[in-house]
Amino acid sequence: MLPLSLLTAAQNKPMLVELKNGETLNGHLVNCDNFMNITLREVYQTNPEGDRFWKLKECYIRGSTIKYLRVPDTLLDVVKEEQNRARDVGRNARGGHIGGRGAPRARGGRGGPMRGGRGRGRGA
Amino acid sequence: MSSLQGYVDRRVLLVLQDGRAIVGVLAGFDQKSNIVLADSKERVYSSDEGVEEIPLGLYLVKGEMICLVGELDEEIDKSVDLATIRAEPIPPIRYG
Repeated sequence: MLPLSLLTAAQNKPMLVELKNGETLNGHLVNCDNFMNITLREVYQTNPEGDRFWKLKECYIRGSTIKYLRVPDTLLDVVKEEQNRARDVGRNARGGHIGGRGAPRARGGRGGPMRGGRGRGRGA
Repeated sequence: MSSLQGYVDRRVLLVLQDGRAIVGVLAGFDQKSNIVLADSKERVYSSDEGVEEIPLGLYLVKGEMICLVGELDEEIDKSVDLATIRAEPIPPIRYG
């Protein structure tokens, strides 16, 4: 699983971000990009010592300043499930065929009665 | 090519540039060595108390922060009583 898929799936979820300087930011993820630049809303910021707090309505964090992000445990299953579904769709769209290898009839060639095949689906 | 692929779904030890040691299951990684750790715990070492394990849950660590990723031998790891271990914490990386 790609770290960025996890982050994208974390949109609108609460998270804790620690920066390289030790500051932490607690808030809900609004958006993110491939550099891990992120925007958070309803943010509680603490200083590196953890003894001072600030409340911010929204903030933008440059990805390169982040040390780590802590996200809800439940996201792992959500992303795994999404990936399984995407994989199945891809397989069916390409026209999987019963028996895996060695059923050349279903491959190549335009049109024809077997076009697209039946797809293997998952399990069973 | 060197890759983390062989560590996926295994329990690993991460050492970060700030000296933290985190154990967890490697759930994913990318080209920049950003790492997804599931069920992770920080191990806090100290010279006058046993090792404290702090549960952290699902973690996404930036590749730039990572010094080391090592596969844990779970058998050996389980046989170690962390409460009896006394060790100096790893200091953070210093530049210059």
